[in-house]
Amino acid sequence: MKQLLKTFKVAFQSIYKNKTRSLLTALGIIIGVAAVIMTISAGEGATQEVQGQISGLGTNLLMVATKSEHRGGIDVRMGRPIDEKDFDILQKNSVWISKLSPLIANGVRAIGPEGNKSTTIYGVASDYFDILSREIISGDIFSEEDVKAARKVCVIGETIKTELFAGEDPIGHQIRIDKVPFTIIGLLKEEGKGTMGQDQDDMLIAPYTTIQNRLYGRRRGYNMIMASAISEDHIEDAEIEITELLRESHRIIDGEEDDFEVTTQIELQEITGNITGILTLILGAIASISLIVGGIGIMNIMLVSVTERTREIGTRLAIGARESDILTQFLIEAIVLSLVGGIIGIALGIIGNQIIYKITDFYIPTAVNSILIGFGFSVLVGVVFGYFPARKAARLNPIDALRYE
Amino acid sequence: MPKKKVIETKKISRVFKNGDIQVRALSDIDIVIEEGEFVVIMGSSGSGKSTLLHILGCLDKPTSGDYYLDGVHVNSLNKNQLADIRNQKIGFIFQSYNLLPRTTALENVELPLVYDRSGRFSNSKELAKKALEQVGLGNRIYHKTNELSGGQQQRVAIARALVNNPALILSDEATGNLDSRSSIDIADLFVRLNNEGKTILMITHEPEIAQFAKRMIYLRDGRVLTDELIKNRSTKESALKDLEQTS
Repeated sequence: MKQLLKTFKVAFQSIYKNKTRSLLTALGIIIGVAAVIMTISAGEGATQEVQGQISGLGTNLLMVATKSEHRGGIDVRMGRPIDEKDFDILQKNSVWISKLSPLIANGVRAIGPEGNKSTTIYGVASDYFDILSREIISGDIFSEEDVKAARKVCVIGETIKTELFAGEDPIGHQIRIDKVPFTIIGLLKEEGKGTMGQDQDDMLIAPYTTIQNRLYGRRRGYNMIMASAISEDHIEDAEIEITELLRESHRIIDGEEDDFEVTTQIELQEITGNITGILTLILGAIASISLIVGGIGIMNIMLVSVTERTREIGTRLAIGARESDILTQFLIEAIVLSLVGGIIGIALGIIGNQIIYKITDFYIPTAVNSILIGFGFSVLVGVVFGYFPARKAARLNPIDALRYE
Repeated sequence: MPKKKVIETKKISRVFKNGDIQVRALSDIDIVIEEGEFVVIMGSSGSGKSTLLHILGCLDKPTSGDYYLDGVHVNSLNKNQLADIRNQKIGFIFQSYNLLPRTTALENVELPLVYDRSGRFSNSKELAKKALEQVGLGNRIYHKTNELSGGQQQRVAIARALVNNPALILSDEATGNLDSRSSIDIADLFVRLNNEGKTILMITHEPEIAQFAKRMIYLRDGRVLTDELIKNRSTKESALKDLEQTS
């Protein structure tokens, strides 16, 4: 025990007397730990961000669209289009659906007082706003009356306001689309970039009836029908119900495949989960590389410093140190340097994440597993490669160690 | 009363094996060194003097024969016991000093006491200071090794060899890296320590340094060629005088 205490003193003295060597050793570990923490955290941050956006898409969301197949690089609609008939059937017969809205999307050129802009106009029912949880910050959404009467009203996003109204309050003003004037009655709350990087504020939303009656006619059907299940527990019920109703309506006989697709939010989350899974995998690979590079760095400095110290080990052996004294000393040195380096690395990693947040506004929560992995691995490498070369040196014949050049 | 035998070897041999080739470095060495002696081992390179010193210093074991150090049968000791006996009974001095860099003289001298498990010493700092005073470095105890001259560094190494009050001081070419004047100073220091009762065994290939000892063992081809007392021992004064005449 007393001997251990003395060895501790020797180890600390050795660290202190050889500041440059100690610093270099710790530096390898510091960089390794910080790099791992930052890469893994960035991956987790991105995953959380994407998943947050998907769950922010709306609650209990279901989407019904014509089945499309990927052919020669483009999506080709396979079945008959989803249309008014389908919508009516769902509206009248479904039990598990609480809200329902068609969706007709069209790329258009919108003309306002301050300029014009190509954007997208969505034709929907008033339920749409609830289904996707889109809020209005000024004015109001259109009513069912507006939809029934196919009134030329619309709700616009922040980007349209900025570009076509120079930021002025647009409520009550008109915007023209294909020569048809629409009166603006509401402004959407800003949403920012979507999952795939699209601007979710660059849009106009109008009653679908207006789009069909005043702009493009009925013949093309809907892009999709969006629906909300009555609760999260009944999303699957709603999916089955929609499938049955539409199969009947489309007169699909048993054994034949659906000519439409029902996508639920759960499935959507799974798909993006796959995407972010790949993202995490790639970042994980990068992190592993930085781990390996950091590990090799630690290994190198440890090997070099122990080799350099072979004569010192020889001297210590000659004046009466036991093999175990030498081993304990080097082990303590390696542990202390690895721990100190690891802790500094953790601090740097967390600070690095904060700096990235300050600069890019991309919030990276420091992942606990990244701290554990980075710290654990670096300390392990530091201790192993501090210990084994020292063991080799301590087991040398003292004469050979003394003569070592 | 007969004097205590510090070293007693009985037919010590050392054979190095390198593949199929066997090299006989030492053959049937019988040496007795008593307490208070000052012995020099000389011989050309390859004569086996380093090998002998390593065995006597418990850094190496003989292939055959028996070695008693201060009454302890060294052959039968294990690795840890050898380390402890080096720590307690031997003070080593090396040609290249082998001090810890960037470390004070005092800390260097304290080093053997760090590894002392006998608990003989209570105040290592005081002992280290005393040892440094003994070698004339009482005013440099807090100097770091790189701030000292070669001769001073070797004195620190000698103080380190003294600090654990060993039965035997072993010097392996202690003056090999020093200029003539510093070499004479170190040899004179050995004489003084010997006069204070220390048993000293040194190897050197410098005849003028060897001349400071009381007894000379000459090795050739791993055997003792001559073993006799030195008649005209050098003193610091005579050696310095010779130095002036030759230059």
